Amino acid sequence: MILNNTPVRTSKNFNINNIKIDEIALPTLVPFSNVKISGETDTMTVEKTKKFELHFTYGVGNVIEDCNQCLRVQVSGKESSPIKIEFDFDQENAALAENIEVIANENAEATVMILYRSDKEKTYFHQGALHVIAKKNAKIHVIVVNLLNVSSQHLMSMENEIDENASVDYTIVDFGAKTCISNWYSNILGEKAASSVNTIYLGSDEQFFDINYIAHLRGEKTNVNMEVQGALADKAKKHFKGTIDFKKGSKKAVGNENESCLLLSDEARSIALPMLLCSEEDVEGNHASSSGKIDTKSLFYIMSRGFSEKDAIKLVVKARFECVLQTIEDWQLREEILSRIDEELL
Amino acid sequence: MSKSQIEDINRNIYDIKNEDNYDFKMKKGLTREIIEELSKQKNEPEWMKEFRLKALDVYESLELPTWGPDISELDMNDIATYVRPKSKLNSSWDDVPEDIKKTFDQLGIPDAEKESLAGVGAQYDSEVVYHSMKEELIQQGVIYTDMETAVREYPDVVKEHFMKCVPVYDHKFVALHGAVWSGGSFVYVPKGVKVDIPLQSYFRLNSPESGQFEHTLIIVDEGASLHFIEGCSAPKYNKVNLHAGCVELYVKDNAYLRYSTIENWSKNMFNLNTKKAIVGKNAKMEWVTGSFGSKISMLYPMSILNGENAKTEFTGISFAGKGQNLDNGFKVVHNAKNTSSLVNAKSISKDGGKCTYRSLVRITPNAGGSKSSVSCESLMLDDISISDTIPVNDIETDDVIFSHEAKIGKISDKTIFYLMSRGLSEEDAKAMIVRGFAYPISKELPVEYAVEMNNLINLELEGAIG
Repeated sequence: MILNNTPVRTSKNFNINNIKIDEIALPTLVPFSNVKISGETDTMTVEKTKKFELHFTYGVGNVIEDCNQCLRVQVSGKESSPIKIEFDFDQENAALAENIEVIANENAEATVMILYRSDKEKTYFHQGALHVIAKKNAKIHVIVVNLLNVSSQHLMSMENEIDENASVDYTIVDFGAKTCISNWYSNILGEKAASSVNTIYLGSDEQFFDINYIAHLRGEKTNVNMEVQGALADKAKKHFKGTIDFKKGSKKAVGNENESCLLLSDEARSIALPMLLCSEEDVEGNHASSSGKIDTKSLFYIMSRGFSEKDAIKLVVKARFECVLQTIEDWQLREEILSRIDEELL
Repeated sequence: MSKSQIEDINRNIYDIKNEDNYDFKMKKGLTREIIEELSKQKNEPEWMKEFRLKALDVYESLELPTWGPDISELDMNDIATYVRPKSKLNSSWDDVPEDIKKTFDQLGIPDAEKESLAGVGAQYDSEVVYHSMKEELIQQGVIYTDMETAVREYPDVVKEHFMKCVPVYDHKFVALHGAVWSGGSFVYVPKGVKVDIPLQSYFRLNSPESGQFEHTLIIVDEGASLHFIEGCSAPKYNKVNLHAGCVELYVKDNAYLRYSTIENWSKNMFNLNTKKAIVGKNAKMEWVTGSFGSKISMLYPMSILNGENAKTEFTGISFAGKGQNLDNGFKVVHNAKNTSSLVNAKSISKDGGKCTYRSLVRITPNAGGSKSSVSCESLMLDDISISDTIPVNDIETDDVIFSHEAKIGKISDKTIFYLMSRGLSEEDAKAMIVRGFAYPISKELPVEYAVEMNNLINLELEGAIG
């Protein structure tokens, strides 16, 4: 199975244009009942609907055609507290393929949190498809947190259409799954439309991440920002593919991409492909990518203050992730994410 | 601000065509019979003929690249792979036939040889027509000759190194090169010998609907040093020409090699060239590249840092104008401890041209303590051009310091305004900014070549912007 193609190919020998997955055992879908929805209001609703299809420009690729959860979130007002959708995997709810559509009407503002958790007992399968439409002047913050166990499969496709002066900002936490394949695409259409994605990933054991983020800047004065911070321990491996594509007509657009990977083991492997594609003159595009281990001086300094080496490493990782964690207002969720770092980096 | 209008580079020197006056021209196409005939025409040893035929098999078994520029227009049935000019190899310019000599005169090669080079090789179509080197280098044991002579006179050295650094199965056009290679240069610098003045080979393709497949093999032995300059050009024809050369560089322990290229092929040329260096312990390999010509270019010089503390630097600029698609870049593999690489790549796109920077940095598990820093900048001079950056960074060990950064933008209005406030016209301000953008590359070239490069960029810039 070939998944998560980059928008532009490079040499086949570099092994990054897509990934071949042979090991995923596809489950038979049965109803998934462990879904908890909270935070609905008069102007922010979640409707469990009949099956509907989502058509993606990119996406991970269809591994399972069917779905066992279909949700439509409608936002028409300005909401200060978030709507929260939580999927908990267990023996009876072992496979989930969900389609979620978020429609933010003109001038609407809201935060949508989607959480995936599991116990450590079994191998679970998740295929998610999330489509966000932000109409004129709408502002949507989407938080996607993957805290599945490290033997599961997580395939997540996210696509956004963004109108004039609207924005769709993501916070993504990818800590779970043995194979975590993530695809994020923002089609930034309207004048002054904006999008961002702030991601942290943490890999240990033999976890594998294939992260593919794509932004098309089409409208004038559009903006995109990608900030990806990760840490890899043990034999974990990651592909990061980030594409900022300035399409014709995107005059005065700005795109920035920063990817940084902390290598905590000499067996961890980080591959990055940060692409800038440009068909417009009056734009500004920047990308930066870096990899390396924790600076020994910093580590020594922290340890000289009484921390063990393990605790010092955890502290550095948490500090690295802080800029992304700050975008999550829910302190309980932040604590849950931080405690997962402690567990993974034992 | 008014729009930038930058005319095409003035190519009048490079576009002068001689009559297609050859001694032998192979029929077009690529078959086993053609390869056998080529080998016969070159009067080669049997092992080389067998090598060519094996390479042809590999060529036929490999697919075209599934990435990069569209090269479907290239049809090997329309290309003559071997054109022997009406000249033997000479060591005096006076013996070179007048029409060929005139071409190299106009390109300034004999003058450069007198003023600033330690040796010169000049290839016309498929064969080297002139080769010469200063006597003092000969006495020091430096060998600088054409590849055919090297195959005959130094068979053991050639067999040991020929297409070992760049194996024929690397990609389809390397296999093609292995099957039809002709001409090129062989350089050997003995242990400890420092060649202070550069050697230069110049490759000129005059014959229409033909290919040039020169092979350059340079061995810089332990503790030795060399600066080698490669220049290339061709007049423009309506049909496709092909350049699929191959450069193999062996930089042994403690040695130093700088390989500079000014590439100015005509805009009907498919430049599918391959260059690779194997760098030993404490050795240093530097690439300096200016890429201006070609219709399509796919060129990614590569350094393999095999020895501890080996270093490499790449400094390159691409300038793509109307109808050009220059897909260039650099590859480096860190394969030993404490190796380092430094990349500074720039590109300018204008008038509908496309520049792509495509690269690979791979740091293997053996390469603890290594450092790599990559910077690429792209300048867009109008809104009909394209500029892409496609770098792959593959890090397989934690004990590294790796960073990559890239920028795309246009000439800053603020900078133009600042320069205009100091009394410059808008045209002069823009031309100065473009020259400044290219300066980090031009300053790495010997003065005469920096002038040539600046001429290529600037000759038509002044007075043409506004």
